[in-house]
Amino acid sequence: MSTATSKSLKEKANQVMGVNLKDAKLAKSYMAVAFIALLLGGILGLLQGFERAGLIQLPYWFNYYQVLTAHGLLLVVVLTAFFTIGYFYAGLSHCLGGLLPKVRKMAWIGFWMKIVGLVIAIIPVLLNKASVMYTFYPPLAAAPSFYIGLALIVLGIWVCAFGAFINVASWRKVNKGKHLPIFAFFATAVFILLFFGSIGVTIEVLILIAWSFGWIPTVNVMVSRTLFWAFGHTLVNIWYLTAVSAWYVVVPKIIGGRRFSDALTRIVIILLVIMNIPGGFHHQIVDPGMSQALKFLHVFMSLSISFPSLMTAFAMFYVFERTGRKLGGKGLFGWLRKLPWGDVRFLAPMIAMIAFIPAGAGGIAQTTNQLNQVVHNTMWVVGHFHLTVGTSVILTFFGISYWLIPHISNRVLTPRMNKVGVIQTIIWTIGMLFMSGSMHAVGLLGSPRRTSYSTYGDNATALGWDPYLIFVAVGGTFLIIGVLIQVFAVFHMMFFAPKGVTEFPIADPEVPVEKTPMWTERWGLWIVIMLVVISMGYVIPLVELIVNAPPGSPPFKTW
Amino acid sequence: MKQARFGLLLFLFLLIPPVAHLLESIMIIHMHMQMPLLVIAGFLMAPFFQKRFPRLFENWNHAGIPGILLVTIVWLYWMIPRTMDDALTVQSVEAFKFFSLPFLVGVPLRDSWKKIGLTVKKIIFIGFTILFFGMGILYIKVPVQLCNNYLLIEQITLGWGFVTMAICIVIYLWYFVFMDHSKYE
Ligand code: HEM
Ligand SMILES: [Cu+2]
Repeated sequence: MSTATSKSLKEKANQVMGVNLKDAKLAKSYMAVAFIALLLGGILGLLQGFERAGLIQLPYWFNYYQVLTAHGLLLVVVLTAFFTIGYFYAGLSHCLGGLLPKVRKMAWIGFWMKIVGLVIAIIPVLLNKASVMYTFYPPLAAAPSFYIGLALIVLGIWVCAFGAFINVASWRKVNKGKHLPIFAFFATAVFILLFFGSIGVTIEVLILIAWSFGWIPTVNVMVSRTLFWAFGHTLVNIWYLTAVSAWYVVVPKIIGGRRFSDALTRIVIILLVIMNIPGGFHHQIVDPGMSQALKFLHVFMSLSISFPSLMTAFAMFYVFERTGRKLGGKGLFGWLRKLPWGDVRFLAPMIAMIAFIPAGAGGIAQTTNQLNQVVHNTMWVVGHFHLTVGTSVILTFFGISYWLIPHISNRVLTPRMNKVGVIQTIIWTIGMLFMSGSMHAVGLLGSPRRTSYSTYGDNATALGWDPYLIFVAVGGTFLIIGVLIQVFAVFHMMFFAPKGVTEFPIADPEVPVEKTPMWTERWGLWIVIMLVVISMGYVIPLVELIVNAPPGSPPFKTW
Repeated sequence: MKQARFGLLLFLFLLIPPVAHLLESIMIIHMHMQMPLLVIAGFLMAPFFQKRFPRLFENWNHAGIPGILLVTIVWLYWMIPRTMDDALTVQSVEAFKFFSLPFLVGVPLRDSWKKIGLTVKKIIFIGFTILFFGMGILYIKVPVQLCNNYLLIEQITLGWGFVTMAICIVIYLWYFVFMDHSKYE
């Protein structure tokens, strides 16, 4: 009873005071950078799509591989990192009663470290001195400043992660014996993964800095790849967890329902944190240097992550059906029609979830050794991640933007802007259906990824790819329209929409509220178990690759 | 009882010859995955035995000390490199492994853990941490192959596995000793 009154009190307080203005400015800055990155990255994506289809040829001073490096970096590092941090900081401010001044300062320091790092890293890309793609696998060597910029970005992220930990710890001290609000629970998980997942890649980048300066002559290529993917894979799951936080917590509120069991939600989060990092091996299934038995064991590691994912799917459809029936939906599927399809804040994440069904299925297929050998390094993989990241995650982010940006800007989402959002979502969906669909297909036919247009001397097989690649360009055209609309919408909502109060939608848990066990709050324990799992996963390949290391590789500039 | 059923299921799964073979094909997986999983299977099955034979546990493991002693001795035995070799070559030793780890380690561990005092727990934790560091350094430093069935590189891997586990236990202990949980809970 007392919690109920205190909650409504808090809600009232929130309505009166709206959002904390200083925290809102921080979140707005993060969002602005994220969507500018979307705009730039999207334009580059379109150029690539046209080049791959043979419709244009990029000039030598701005070639395919420069564009590809920048596209990857802007979209999978800048857009996602800035969005994730801005979103969770806005949420922490909302549900922990404002950020501590110290923490807000840390978030600003992190912001500028990332911006400076980005500028330092992107300059060599523009000068054609760092066409190493966003994975920067050695022995391809970029100019040192590329790696220095990356290191600064990671350090900036760490500052933000520690800021979040400090704020959460201080809240827990004040609210002894209470459960961390669910949104902050998600944030804690994400920042833990961001920090621990990037330790390996930071070590790698530091070594690569020395290597590209020539201070050390050679580098262990296999170890570098392993460290990279411990991070790369974790990053993927950070996006996923970010999207999932909106699915569990926000979407039920928007459709007027209640969220899924609090205890089970927290268990899903804990499982995702614990099992995540060693999953990185599924990106190295065809790499040499690891025994077949080890790779087979890692399939389990990879697949075990699909368990919490399946639980999520179950939970979401459970919430939808219950809410739809409560709203009067009848029959087997009648409840579907009761859902607010015309509301972009629901439609975008809903399509994102639907896209995750084929995307997840493709992922499970890819993680099998034999099937991976068919699709590895083909356009199939590019199709796969434009479906996972480019659709499931990004559409969820777009859906979030239609309430988060008004919330932090003290403005409202107008019905007209909602309509714009619905149209944007549909355009994006059509674009991705074309682009990702044809990428998957042409990948199965053997078209390689990360390769500018070539007919391979008019080889018949290669010519057979062309029709599919045209569809990539068609999809890309839809997508760039989607990007333009989305960026317009974001900045319109930030600066021009009518003033007003928009709530930060957090659904209440189901009634009757079952008690969530207190052990879910033992973050120290989860971190230790996570470390145990990481060491079980990484000790074998790392010892093998370091002790039995092949001769290292000097830096190469192949372009 | 649901737990006991899961434990039995896990035990049966580990018994399947191809599973056992796969897990035993890598030294560190043999010691740091198959063996702990067997212990966990026993741990989960323990309630069944506790309910079935309450007198036995009451008579023989009243304060928990005999149980924890049994756990320590059997587990120590399985840390000797030679025993892993034996398990792979001598059928009866393999059978003993599949019997001893769940039923002589997992079951008594669960029965004892609630009964023993904090001091004993501390001794066990610290003892095993030191042991893990020791074993780790031993396996990393020994220049010769200790097992007929596993190469030197696998031995070094196992050594690092011990060291990282020990580090994890230390972090855990640090978390419990130095963090003031009453401030948060
Ligand atoms: C306007 C929308 C987009 C278009 C037209 C587009 C198009 C493309 C194309 C044609 C490629 C190159 C394939 C290759 O040669 O390997 C590519 C790669 C890639 N895209 Fe996109 N994309 C778009 C949006 C996105 C989004 C939203 C994301 C992620 C958030 C994303 C992430 C990536 C990544 C990570 C790569 C791989 C880069 C690499 O291989 O190094 N893209 N994209
Ligand atoms: Cu992955």
